[in-house]
Amino acid sequence: MAEAIVGVRDLTMAFGDRVVMEHLDIRIEPGEIYVVMGGSGCGKSTLLRHMLGLQEPASGEVFYGDESFTRAGASDRERMLRHVGVLYQGSALWTSMTLAENVALPLQQFTQLRPGRIREVVELKLALVGLHGFEEYYPWELSGGMQKRAGLARAIALDPEILFIDEPSASLDPPTGRRLDRLILEIRDALHTTVVVVTHDVACILGIGTRALFLDGESRRSIAEGPPAELRVSGPDAVRAFFAGGILP
Amino acid sequence: MAKEGAAALAPAAIEMSRAGGSTLVVRLRGAWRLADDLPPPADVERELDRESAAMVRLETSAVADWDSGLVVFVFGLLTFCRARGIAVEHPDLPGTLERMLALVQTSALPAAAPPPLRGGLLERLGRRALARRKKVLAASLFVGETTLGLSRMLVGRARFRGQDLGLLLEGAGPSALPIVALVNFLVGIILAFVGITQLRRFGADYYVADIVGIAVVRDMAALITAIVLAGRSGAAYAAQLATMKVTQEVDALRTLGISPVEFLVVPRVVALTLMTPFLVLFADLMGVLGGAAVGTTMMNQALASYLRQTANSVTTGDIIGGLVKSATYGALVALTGTARGLQAERSSEQVGVAATQAVVTGIVAIIIACGLFQYVFFLFGF
Repeated sequence: MAEAIVGVRDLTMAFGDRVVMEHLDIRIEPGEIYVVMGGSGCGKSTLLRHMLGLQEPASGEVFYGDESFTRAGASDRERMLRHVGVLYQGSALWTSMTLAENVALPLQQFTQLRPGRIREVVELKLALVGLHGFEEYYPWELSGGMQKRAGLARAIALDPEILFIDEPSASLDPPTGRRLDRLILEIRDALHTTVVVVTHDVACILGIGTRALFLDGESRRSIAEGPPAELRVSGPDAVRAFFAGGILP
Repeated sequence: MAKEGAAALAPAAIEMSRAGGSTLVVRLRGAWRLADDLPPPADVERELDRESAAMVRLETSAVADWDSGLVVFVFGLLTFCRARGIAVEHPDLPGTLERMLALVQTSALPAAAPPPLRGGLLERLGRRALARRKKVLAASLFVGETTLGLSRMLVGRARFRGQDLGLLLEGAGPSALPIVALVNFLVGIILAFVGITQLRRFGADYYVADIVGIAVVRDMAALITAIVLAGRSGAAYAAQLATMKVTQEVDALRTLGISPVEFLVVPRVVALTLMTPFLVLFADLMGVLGGAAVGTTMMNQALASYLRQTANSVTTGDIIGGLVKSATYGALVALTGTARGLQAERSSEQVGVAATQAVVTGIVAIIIACGLFQYVFFLFGF
């Protein structure tokens, strides 16, 4: 078994006294597109927030490689997150900045690159996601799909080793969602990035996932893990029902 | 791709040589990582300017490590050579880099509209002038719509929720009492100090109660209260409405067929217009008490005597005049706050801008109105 690049050990997530999910164990290997799936409100995005340190676990820990992220101090956490890119559900682009400025900010903050070189990298990253020529646009001048692409360009600005994506196809029409899925696959292949996707979109799960984890909101546990196509056919009832409900006959 | 363990690799370098006269061979060596000082494609471009070539052969087998830094270099070189009609062969380019380059070429969106023009100084000035004209027209429209909304409210046909109005009345009035009381009490003290200091030179410091009373009741209480409200309620209204624009709540009202002006602006204008006079009545009392605090301590005047003197000097006309002014100021604060909020663009930065502009515009509007009131009251001998 390859060494996990990121994962969680015996993780329990809670809001105050309300436990959302307990005793989660996840090991994500390099190069995977690992999908966290489940119904609305089961704790998928909360898990992502825990993995990014935006929320602290009730118990258990998050780890990156062989280091504990949960027990790490602020500077160690910052170092670990330097290898991480995140595409948020609502893109989370800074609306007062142009697309070029959005993508340039991490480069300005975390590299010693000259402005000219930053400009070149920004143009390349925007070209990678199909937004060449849109450098001087503001986010609110773009469609939802284009904002997602721009968010992706910002997420890969620093060539991350791990890319977290929260609901990639949320608020996108199916063809735009599938185009974004293809783009994620291509970025993964081109950058050799490990991708962690949180979604309930069945087409996305089957289209790009190499391994998937099903979170069951009722039992507050993960009840299945494996290649999505296999889970769809031979997973537990709740998982098969989830897949069946997502695809019209 | 770049990893932390690769930090000690040889730095990036380019070697160039000619092969067969018409081919420039470009060999890349070392670690090509963004964080390092990378040679720019301009080095190769200068060599091609010095002596052109029909083909460039790019050799990357000696590249020890790379990330987007190499992609930027190769992409720049390919773009330059394509523009010059120079063929490029790259027999040993890493597969992942090939895929990235292919992605750059193929993933462009089909309908990439030209970016909006930002232009030079004159162009920007012109755009600003046109935008200002648009804003003036929008402001006129806003005042018109609000007037219509208010008239619809008077005949009971305006669409807004009664409970919203209740909450707004509470927020604009009772909740503002402590700060209004404090500020006006202090203003009363300041006026009394200034009055005593100046009047004492003429032996007329006994009249400080008259001066403080008249100044507070006629103007100062209304003016100071309105300025406090501009910073408190005006900014809050602007931020609320701007946020509602960002989160498309205003669009949701429009698509339901509900006028945002009727639903959001009218109740706020009504709330502040109604509550400001009540606040000012209270502010009058606090201002007079502030003056009395100074008068009784510095001049040893009895409190009852001070208050009686104030009551004799202040007329009912002064009180009514102050209340009329305060209602006007309240309406202005609400109008400027809500207008700035609804003018905001759909960005989070605009929420802050709207709040700031609401305060500034509100205070300017109050001061202008105050000046006009003084002139009109003077004309009518008030």
